[in-house]
This record gives sequence, C-alpha cells and structure tokens, in this order.
Amino acid sequence: MPQPVDVDDLRQGLLGVGYVADAGLATALACGVSLGRAILLEGDAGVGKTDAARALAAVFGAQLLRLQCYEGLDLAAAAYDWNYGKQLLAIRTAEASERPGADEARRIPDLYGDEFLIRRPLLAALGATRERGIVLLIDEIDRADDEFEAFLLEFLADFAISIPERGTIAATHPPIVVLTSNRTRDLHDALKRRCFYHWIGHPTVEREIEIIRLHLPDVAPELAGDVARAAANLRERGLRKAPGIAESLDWTQTLGLLGARRLETEVFEPSLGSVLKYPEDIDLARASAAAIVAAARGPSTGSG
Amino acid sequence: MAGTRRAQTFAEVLRVLPTASSAGVYWRARAAMLPSIDDLDAFQAAFLEFFGAIDDADALRRLVRTVDAPPRPAPNAPKRETIPPPPSDRPAGPELADKAPILWIAASSQDRLSDKAFEDLDEAERAAMMRLIERVRTAAELRASRRRRADQHGDRFDFRRTLQSAARTAGELARRRTTRRRLRLRPVAFVLDVSGSMTPFARALVQYARVTAAARPAVSAFAFATRLTDLTPLLKRAGDDRLMSAIAQTVRDYGGGTRIGAALRTFNDRYAVRGAARGGTVVILSDGWEREDPALVGAEMARLRRLTRRIVWVNPHKRHAAYEPLARGMAAALPYLDAFLSGHNLRTLEAVADAIEGRLG
Ligand SMILES: Nc1ncnc2c1ncn2[C@@H]1O[C@H](COP(=O)(O)OP(=O)(O)OP(=O)(O)O)[C@@H](O)[C@H]1O
Ligand SMILES: [Mg+2]
Repeated sequence: MPQPVDVDDLRQGLLGVGYVADAGLATALACGVSLGRAILLEGDAGVGKTDAARALAAVFGAQLLRLQCYEGLDLAAAAYDWNYGKQLLAIRTAEASERPGADEARRIPDLYGDEFLIRRPLLAALGATRERGIVLLIDEIDRADDEFEAFLLEFLADFAISIPERGTIAATHPPIVVLTSNRTRDLHDALKRRCFYHWIGHPTVEREIEIIRLHLPDVAPELAGDVARAAANLRERGLRKAPGIAESLDWTQTLGLLGARRLETEVFEPSLGSVLKYPEDIDLARASAAAIVAAARGPSTGSG
Repeated sequence: MAGTRRAQTFAEVLRVLPTASSAGVYWRARAAMLPSIDDLDAFQAAFLEFFGAIDDADALRRLVRTVDAPPRPAPNAPKRETIPPPPSDRPAGPELADKAPILWIAASSQDRLSDKAFEDLDEAERAAMMRLIERVRTAAELRASRRRRADQHGDRFDFRRTLQSAARTAGELARRRTTRRRLRLRPVAFVLDVSGSMTPFARALVQYARVTAAARPAVSAFAFATRLTDLTPLLKRAGDDRLMSAIAQTVRDYGGGTRIGAALRTFNDRYAVRGAARGGTVVILSDGWEREDPALVGAEMARLRRLTRRIVWVNPHKRHAAYEPLARGMAAALPYLDAFLSGHNLRTLEAVADAIEGRLG
C-alpha cells in the first residue's frame, strides 16, 4: 500500500522544488499518490501540467519517465522493442566464431535476453524500487489513439506488461502515474474512472506573481505584478492562443532585458512577440495597448 | 456502476486523507468524482445540495464560489473535436438510449460477490451473479459511445445520488442515473473454451453474451473443446438451462482435450469470413492449453486479426500472479491481441466489458 501524503505537506514540498500548486491540484496529486492511482491533469497549453509531474518526481526523489503521446504511438515506442541490429550482430558473431565440435547450445545466443530488450517508458516504469520511486508522465494522452488508450487501461490495472518472448513483467513497486490532456478529444470513460482528475485553470494573479518570482527571483516585484495582471487581461480577450505561464515567464524576462521595471507603453509593443504567438493576436493586443497597460499597472498601484 | 465506483473512491479518499474543513471535503470530492470540467456545474450543484443539508449552506456556497474562481476553460478554449463515427459496414443499430435503465445496485451483496472467482460460486450465488452480469453489460455499453445525443439532460452522472451513496460508506444502495447515448453497435462474437476447468468461466461469459444479445444485434457465441459449436441460435430463444446443457453437450460430444487452433479455423472459415465479427470484436475465452500444434493457433489468430477490428482474450488463469503465458497456444496467440484479460470474477468481467466496448464509436 502506498504511504498517505498530507495535502499541505505536498503543497509545501512542491513549492520547495519550484512549483506553485493551489489546493485543488495539491489535493488531486495527494489523492493519487496516497491511493496509488493515476492522476489526470487537463488544462490549456502552458498552465503547468507537464511541470506538475516534474515537480512531483522531485518531491519524492523519484525518477521521471516521460512518454510523449502522438497519433500512431504504438507499443514498440511506448512499452518495449527488440534491438534487431544487436540481435543480428549477435547471430553473426556466433556464426563467425563457430568452430567444428563446439556444442550447439553455446553457439546460439539468447536473442531475447536483457541486453536486446529496449525498455521504453511504460516498461521502464515497472522498474521502481523501494529506494527509488518512479513518476511516469504520460503526456498529452489525447493525442494517442484509442488502441493505445485501451492498452493503457490494462497497464494501469495490472502494472504489468506481457512480452510474448519473455512472459509477464510486473512492477514490484507501482509507479506514480500522471496523465495530461489538452482536451483535443474526450478520453474513454473507463480510463477516466481510474484516475483522479484535476482541471488546471489559468492562475490567479497572485499565484502567477508567485510563480514568476519563484522562477525569476531577480525581477522587480512590481514588474512581476504588471506582467501577471497583463497576462490575465490578455486571457480575457478571446485570443487565438491565450498566453500560458511559460509565456508570462518569457515576457517578464524579455521586459527585464529591455531594462523595464514596470510595464510601460514603450516596452509593451516591442515585447509582445514573447507573449503572443500569432500575428493576429499581436495586432489585437496592439490595438488595445493603452487599456492593457492600464490594467496591468493595476488599480492599487496607481499609474505613476 | 461507474458512478458507484467514483463514490467508492471518494469514500476511500476520506478514509485515507481525512479532513475537517469544508474546502478539504470539496476538493477531495471533486478530485474523486468530477469526470470532466464540463460537468463542473452539475457537480457544484450536487455538492451544495448534498452537503448543504449537513453543513452551513451559505458558507458552502461562498466556498464553492471562491474555490471556483479560476478553473474554467477559457472562453476561447479549443472546441472539442467531435469524434467521427468509425467506418462501419453496417447501419447503426437501434437506439438503446430510451431503454437506459436506472441501475440499483445492492452494494453490500455485490461487493462480496464481485471478487469471488466464478468457479467458487455456489448455486444461489451463481444465480445472483447472473443478474449482476446483466448490469455489467448494460453499464459497459452505456459508457461505450462517446457520441452524445443532442439531449443535454440525460447524459452525465447524477452527482447527488452518487454523493449520497458515497456518504453511506456501508452503502446499501448506490444509484447512478445512467447516460443517454446514441450507440453505434458493432458485432461481437464470443468464442468460448468450455473444456474442463474453463466451464464455470464459460458459463459466466455465455450469460454475458446472452444479455448482450438481448440488447443489440449481431451478437454470436460459440463453444469449443475439440470442435466448435454455434450457440447463437440459443442466445435469444432459450433460457439459461438450454444454453448450459448445450455447452455440456459440446464437451460430451467431442470428448476431452482442447483444440484451439482447429476451433479457431472453423470459426474463421465458417463465420468470421462471412462477417460474424467484421468491424467488431471477438472475445475468446481459453487458458491457451493447446493439445495440438500451437503454430495453427498462431496462423488462425493472424487470419482472425485481418477479419476483425478487435480481439479480446480472456484467460482466467491470468489472475494468478505467477501465471505467465507459457501455455504454447497462449504464447502463439498473444501477438494478435488487443486486450488480454483475466475475467475470472465480476470485477474483472467489468474490464472485459470495457474492452469489448473499447472500440465502439
Ligand atoms: N504552478 C507552477 N509553478 C511553477 N512553474 C510553473 C507552474 N505552472 C507552470 N509553470 C512553468 O510554466 C511553464 C509551462 O508549464 P508546462 O510546460 O508544464 O505547461 P503545460 O500545461 O504542460 O503546457 P502544454 O500543454 O503546452 O504542454 C514551465 O516552464 C513551468 O516551469
Ligand atoms: Mg506539457
């Protein structure tokens, strides 16, 4: 049975490794870890889904294994494969060193031995030990297709993979599994039922300030606040791609390089490329520059 | 049944991670029971309605409002793609949506039975089990299709009832108001090894086949030991007993031993090539012990692979931790499977049900 982890302890731990989690996210993660069940994180691009798994691994001193999903992802890429080149080489070598009289068994190498097995993330994730846990991140599961989802369902139920040539390999210490989805499609209900769920929303202004200052401790606190408020404002504008936290971080950094201590009109436009990725979004923001800068400077801080 | 499972998860969370605060309860309930952010409104309403009765309702309402500040999809969040219906060589089956039953599950008796292997059931338990199997079928089918009807109301879980059942951990009754979905029904064929130790499991699966056949078209079932018998005509017409005696007859007629490869060849030649499972699922029950050449099993599995969309193999012996597919027939079949499952009791039968429905549009 997995050890229960306290929600607040986990939240502190995550902060210690550079990740700001709110109560909802910390709860979902703590539930998953404590009950040995997968956690499904959904949210817009750049809200910290992937980083949450990284941070979780760091908290537990666990190894992070990441499986990036894509359409057509198959078991050879996700679970295991045989190193055909090496197998072939072994056969050649055996043939070359074949001497008359050498006994049969010695001449034929075991082609399905460990040295020929390529462990992809799912198989590798079964190798956790008491000393070293594993966090398995199955990133962007919505991109993989149904077949893979069905396989995953089984994998999560058994934490075992059967390899025809080898038999079944099972985990002695199940990994902590984090799945992420950008919601390009619905996941199968059966999969969802096996997971704790959390929707990571865009951060509140306070949390975003905290994140920016955590990542960029040298930045002026006022600038962090301006960026967080401006980002929040931009997210309300129905852009083609709303800025994520990564973009806020880039923006802050760019503004810092431009020597800004606050978000001023003069630096707003030239720096927009670091926060918005589509020309039409940049045009839109440029048209409302004054309003966004005013909102960024905030009601409490005044405009001076 | 899905709702029940979520409720059980919530109850488990409260046991493992107890909390005294309302916010703590809220987030635990949400992590355990919210299936998707799209269901948030229903969840919030149910949470308030249920916990509002035992806690300060105003405080809770404030809580729900504050905790809910950011976590919504942005207005410009990418629209979900509607999942295109899979290509099908037959028209969609009749709609089951209106038949969607309200499931009442006696949690206490079900729990006891859920984990008991089919082979260990006594007569009374077996009868109860047969009724429960029916629900597995229904539940799996209902969660199968992702194509939702335009109907906004029928879909999704009934959180209020789910929460109630969660609160009564001892749970006499858990209820899930099931979803309304438009189902696209693909053929399903059951090919069941009824030799020797397989019989109790075959009985459970044939029962499952029977209730499946009652609800959808294109369900067929076959029993085999050394030869293959078509049970399909009996699925709809006969009662439990006629089917069971047909199974017994299959074993008696052809003597002992198992010829999986030969049975699969008959199935492929006579039924699969004519579309018994085209575009659908074949469920094979067997422990994989082949009396004859396992190469034939491999060859026939390869053929079957081309004739169907999905192959699910149920092997009750898989549950034994030490089991490795050493049975030679099993080893030969493995590369062709989409799912390899245990299915030895009700709980694992649910996994079988999910696997069958896994490919339904
Ligand atoms: N809560 C947080 N605390 C600290 N840093 C964060 C947090 N959320 C996001 N970040 C930072 O923001 C960046 C983007 O996060 P991440 O890549 O995890 O987003 P994502 O949700 O996985 O995005 P995508 O959907 O594009 O993959 C990372 O550099 C990460 O360090
Ligand atoms: Mg990511």
